[in-house]
Formats: sequence, C-alpha cells, structure tokens
Amino acid sequence: MTLKTTFTMAALSGMLLAGIAIPAHAQEGNLRIRINADIRSSDPGINRDANSDAVVAHVVEGLVGYKDDATVAPLLAKSVDVSADGLTYTFTLRDGVTFSNGEALTSEDVLFAWDRYTNPESGWRCLPDVNGEGVSHVTDVSAPDASTVVFTLEQPTALFLATLARADCGGTGIYHSSSLDAEGKWVAPIGTGPFTFGEWRTGQFVELKANPNYSALEGARDGYVGDKTPLVETVRFVIVPDDSAAKAALYAGDVDVIPDVNNADVPEFKADERIDLQSVPGMGLTALLFQTQDPLLGDVRIREALRLSLDLSEIADVVSEGQAKPSNSVIPQPSSYFTEVQAQVPARDLEKAKALLAEAGYKGEPITWLTTEFYPQLFSAAILVQAMAQEAGINIQIETLDWATLLDRYTNGTYQAMSFTYSARLDPSLSYDMVSGDKAAQPNKVWDSVEGRDLMAKARVSSDPAERQAIFDQLEGMIRADVPLLVLYSGTRVSAAHAGVEGYATWPVGLPRAWGVSVNSGN
Amino acid sequence: MPALARYIGKRLLWTLPTLLLVSVMVFFMVRLIPGDPVQLILGDQATPSEVAQLTRKLGLDQPIPVQFVLWLGQVAQGDLGNSITNGQPVLPLMLGRFQVTAVIVILAVGLATLIAVPAGLLAAWKQNGRLDIAVVAAATLLMSVPSFWLGLVLLLVFGLKLGWLPVVGFVPFTENFWSALTYIVLPVATLTLIEVGVLTRMVRASAIEVLRLEYVTHARAKGLSERQVLLRHVMPNAFAPTWTMIGLVLGGLLGGAAVLETVFTLPGLGRLLVDAIFARDYPVVQGCLLFTALLYVLVNLIVDLCYPLFDPRVTAS
Repeated sequence: MTLKTTFTMAALSGMLLAGIAIPAHAQEGNLRIRINADIRSSDPGINRDANSDAVVAHVVEGLVGYKDDATVAPLLAKSVDVSADGLTYTFTLRDGVTFSNGEALTSEDVLFAWDRYTNPESGWRCLPDVNGEGVSHVTDVSAPDASTVVFTLEQPTALFLATLARADCGGTGIYHSSSLDAEGKWVAPIGTGPFTFGEWRTGQFVELKANPNYSALEGARDGYVGDKTPLVETVRFVIVPDDSAAKAALYAGDVDVIPDVNNADVPEFKADERIDLQSVPGMGLTALLFQTQDPLLGDVRIREALRLSLDLSEIADVVSEGQAKPSNSVIPQPSSYFTEVQAQVPARDLEKAKALLAEAGYKGEPITWLTTEFYPQLFSAAILVQAMAQEAGINIQIETLDWATLLDRYTNGTYQAMSFTYSARLDPSLSYDMVSGDKAAQPNKVWDSVEGRDLMAKARVSSDPAERQAIFDQLEGMIRADVPLLVLYSGTRVSAAHAGVEGYATWPVGLPRAWGVSVNSGN
Repeated sequence: MPALARYIGKRLLWTLPTLLLVSVMVFFMVRLIPGDPVQLILGDQATPSEVAQLTRKLGLDQPIPVQFVLWLGQVAQGDLGNSITNGQPVLPLMLGRFQVTAVIVILAVGLATLIAVPAGLLAAWKQNGRLDIAVVAAATLLMSVPSFWLGLVLLLVFGLKLGWLPVVGFVPFTENFWSALTYIVLPVATLTLIEVGVLTRMVRASAIEVLRLEYVTHARAKGLSERQVLLRHVMPNAFAPTWTMIGLVLGGLLGGAAVLETVFTLPGLGRLLVDAIFARDYPVVQGCLLFTALLYVLVNLIVDLCYPLFDPRVTAS
C-alpha cells in the first residue's frame, strides 16, 4: 500500500502541476463527505466506531451536547438543574421538538431510550460509565411530567453530563420507539436531528435526507449544539478507504469534503487555492509510551534520558507537517485546563541524557520500539526517535506492526516502547484515566501511581474549576517526573473541502458536521 | 451422458474434502494472527469488563475447537454466521459483494480473451517478425505493469484530467445501466489490459507449438489458405491450454481483485476480505475464503468440462 500511495502521490502531483481543473461534478443540494470505512451500525453508541458516531449524530440528538470548546451545553434539554449535593439532575425538555416522523418529543421517549441503553443486552458503549463501574452510577431516572426528566446519582461526579454528551456514547441520543421493530430489533434511527436516515448501502455509502420536522436550537452552530439547520437536501457519506483515492475524488468533484486529511497531504492541499483547508487542534494525543515494568525501561533514569535525547518540538513539527504545536501534556491543547503548566515543553539535552544513561549502567542494550504504518505519524515518530536517541547512544530497534497487532500489544502491555495515538477524551480526568491505573488489572495503563489515582478520583467528583485545575497541575508534575510516556502533540483535525462548499468547519472533536453547509455546483 | 454425470458428481464430491480442509486451515490460521476483534471494536477506551462482555457476546470466549465445531455446524446448514464488525449475515453480504466483482472480472477476462486470441495467433503466425516483436513487447509490458499503477494512471487521465468518468463509487446495472457503465469502464479496462498480456503470451506460445506440428504442414500442402490453416487447424488446438489459463485467471480473480477494488473504491469481494482481515472479522474472513475456494473448484470444473469442445482427444472418460 505504501508503494501504491507513493505512486499516487507522484502521479497526482504531476497532474496538478499540469494544472488540472476541478471538474464540476459537485451537485447542488447534495453534500458528499468522505468516510474511510463503512459504519458498523446506525444504533447510537452500540457497535460503533468514529464513522458510525459521525453519521448517527446527524440523526439523533441527546439531552446535552458538546460545544466547539469541548464544554457541554443543553441540546434537547432547555435547561439542566443540578441539585446542591450534585446527586440530582433535572432536565427540562425544549418545547416544540418533534421527531422526524412528526411525533412530539416527551420525557417518555427519554425513558424509553434510557431503558434500552442501560439494558446490558444492548451493548451500549457507555453502560459502565452510568452503572457504577466507571464515572457515575445512575440509581434512578423518572419523568414527573411530559417535559421533565430527573436523573439521580449515587455519588456526585463532574463527568455525568460530559458522559451523556460523548460522541462514542452516541451522545446518549433520544430516538423514537419506532426505530425498533415489533420484536424490539433495531431498524434505523428516527430522531430529532437535522437529517433523517435514508439509505445505507454496505461498503458504498450512507445517505441522509434533510429532516423537514427539524426544530433548530437558538444560537449559532457550536459543536453539536446551536442552530443545526440543514442547507442541503441530502448528505451522502461516501466510503473511500484509500487516502489517495479520496484525494483524487476531491479533485474530481466526486466528494465535496474530506473531514480528516492525512498530514502528508496537507502541503499539497495548502498550496492549492481551489481547496479550502482547515486545521484546528484536536482532542486526541500522539504519544510515545514506555513499559515501566520492563527490566530496562523500568529505570526512570533511562526513560528520562530518552526524553532528554529527543527534540520533542522538532518531532511534533515534522510528523504533523507543521500542523500541530508541540504539547507534552496528557491534557489536550483545546481544553480549558491546558494552561502554562501543561504548555511547558522540555528541552533536548544530550549531555545530560548521556550522563543519566551512564549512571543507570546502560550499555547499548537494544530497545524494541513498536509502531505501525496504519497511522503514518506513528511510523514517522518512531524513525525520528530512533535517529535522535542514537545520538545519545540509545539503541532503538523498530518493529512495524499492523494496527490490530499494535493495539493488541498496547492492550496487553507487551511492549518495551511504542508510538501510539489516543482517541479524544474531552475532560482532563478522562485523559488521566486513559493513561493511569493499576497495571495488574489493566495492563494497557502506562502510569501506575497510587497517589495519582487518588488525585484523579478527587478531580472526578469536584465541579470547582479552580480546584480541578490545581489537581491537574499537580498530576502534570507527577507524570512528567515519572516519564511513563511522552506526549508529542494533541491531534490536529484537518479538513479539506473544494471551493464549491460553503460553511463547512472542522472542530476539535473532528467528526464531520453537514448542517449549515451548502454546495454550489457552479464553482 | 451418464459418464459425464458420474464425472461431474465425482468432481463435486471431491470438493467436499477440499472445502473441509480449507475451512480447517482458514479457521485456525486466521486466529493465529495477532490482534483481537473485540479490542478493535472497542478501541483504546475499552475497559476489561467491556472486553470480557463483548468477547462473551460474540462467542469468542469459547475454546477455539468448540468455536470451530459450532461454526462448521452453522456452515453445514448454509449459515456462515454474522459479521463481527457490523452484525450483518455473512452470506448475503458476501454474495452482494461478489456480484460487483463478478461483473467486472467476467467482462474483463472476456474482453481480454477476445483481444488476446487473435493477437497471439497473429504473433505466432509472424513469429520473429515485426508484428510478433510488437505484440510480445506490448504483452510483456502489460504483464509487468502493476494493476494498481495502471488503474491509477487511467483514473488520473480519464477521471481527473478529462473528467469523463467518475473517480470513486459504484452503481449497480439494475439501478441505472448507463451510469453503472461509467463506473466500471476504468476497472474493466485496467483488468482487461493486465490479463491481455498474460493470455496473449499463452496463445502465442501454444500457437507456435501447434504451427510446428506435421498436420499443419499437411494442411498447407493440401493448399488451404493461411487463414483457413490458422482458424480451422491452429486456433482450436492452441486455445485448449489458453482455456485452462482462463480458468485459473477467472478462479483467482473472482475471489476478489482487492487492490483494484481499493483503487476504484468498488465494493467487491476482495475489498470485503481485506477489510475483514484488518478488522479481524473472523466470520467474514472464513466465509470469503471458503467461498473463494468453492469458486475456484467450480470454475475449474467448468473449464475441465468444456475442454473436450476445444480438444477432441480429451473426453469425460
């Protein structure tokens, strides 16, 4: 595939130099967005992946949703009242909201969806986060009247609303009971979102149609909230697995938007004025992980020496094609908790690295570094790390795996070091939870610190931003001292649209949004 | 006819142990590949309890021999199970994708045969002449070009530069004939050109061999025209080995032309298989490979049954 990509790149570049005009294949009223794989289901938060989440979010809406700045705001709810003890959440539904089938949204619909979500048989992605295994334990849900829903929690948590809004939870979207057949089997979502579920042609596309009964929220489009009025009749998510083919399709006008552009393609798109390229910092992380239980890398001096041997800013710049600013915190840059403490980037110091290695008795033993070409930035990062570390006398051997195998090795903790990419976590306590934990129970955790886990537990229940910031700053210092991982940068979200597309905007969560977007075939 | 029926029955019976062997190999080998489908579905946010729950739900917590027996029992009833990735039944999913592959492959191999047979015959007839050198050079070039590269070049020229044909997508013939045609022109052309090279070389080699036989000299001595010699005496005999090659090519390609399907974004069987391998979607991988093996056996059976049409020396007995 690499060879193929190389050929394509060369061929495409050649054709572009020859000045190919973008053919006017664009269709007014129809927006075509590239996705790189088929969706897994249309059931919100159930048997899902990022593509499934993206599609479903156009059809169903939850009580709350994420804004562009990764904070949570009401969506189907008009207001959310939290009791003083933090145990009761009262949602008042917006007036006049109907499902796409014309039925009015009531609290009974919320209960119906919630009952199905919390049925262990449903396989809802976020069940552990509301049944007490994870961030919260919802002990009761009631509907005192047609427009009010009350959730009762066992313990207060700062993450309850954030959990309901999570894209991988399907935004805890509320769907009409007719989304299921008479036997309770899922058919297709009937929601309150700006689009209705049209046709899913496996391996080819998923087509959505504008919802004539959509009731827009006031305010400008903001993340998954605000005005989401559709401006096109249909939106088709076209499945194009190959990046090169997707690029060709964009130039040919066979797709209108590539929502997640490869870093390697950025310079070419950037240089082309016919392409609208947008880049924002994302909430995911690209990082280098160390196995702290490894006989060699268990020595913090060797991990520290590795950090000192690397020019982290240079690596971030090169592997992201200049799209990402270096960031070495597990808290992603767009987070409101990313402050000066998190923004510090350690400098390279080869002499100090060599001294630490000598002190630790390192004699050039090989360190196997796992990576994958599935995510090109991970492979590039490994190559750069190998070269830079060599200058300090560190012997890194790169082993390239396919993504499934790398993920398997990550999950089981069977590695010395690896390049890895974490998906988005929208709250800092979730970011810390992602990397920290008891290795005996969860071998995928890279940082095993009892003190750190205690602090994280405090951050999860506290809703005071200042208190939380202090906790996260303390955690930042602790994790940097232990060096169980080196974050390179927060992911970047780069989208490309051809000139005929108006209103498309990428955002830190990165999932494509088709509302508020129009296509002008004349361009 | 009874002899032919017995022959077909015997050949079909022989497919059963072949398929059983394939199923055993596929089932166990696909599980030897590192990587867990459950982890791929749940991603890096998975908790151990979620992994355990989904593993149980998918039946992957059972010992592998038990999983195999259960799967084989399903297969015996015509049920290839459901995709781990999207829950869809494997058999209809696979058959839907096969239709796409079949249309492209059959058209391409058919066209390639129509081009390769006269080209190979003419080259053999004019062996070592300018025409022969040109045909051999072209065939060698086409054989040497990777299919994805040729596909990309055609795509860039006809899709991007000229804008005559769509770059990605697929429309079934049942939906819109002319639109469907525009989507398959480039993949069919690519595959045709690649296969023309292979088949032309085959036809040429066979024809040269036949042209040296005494009965051809005898035919010429009788005063038959070169056209008659080539068409009536050389072509039928030279075509027999080519026919075997066509069978092998068809058998191989019908199982999926994964690279080409990826380049042209075609929802074919090959892409389904490749995607399933990357997703560790065991039921789909098993189903596709079993189906491919069955196709291969059946195509070659048909080829063998047709052989007597081209070579009278070969009979069912």
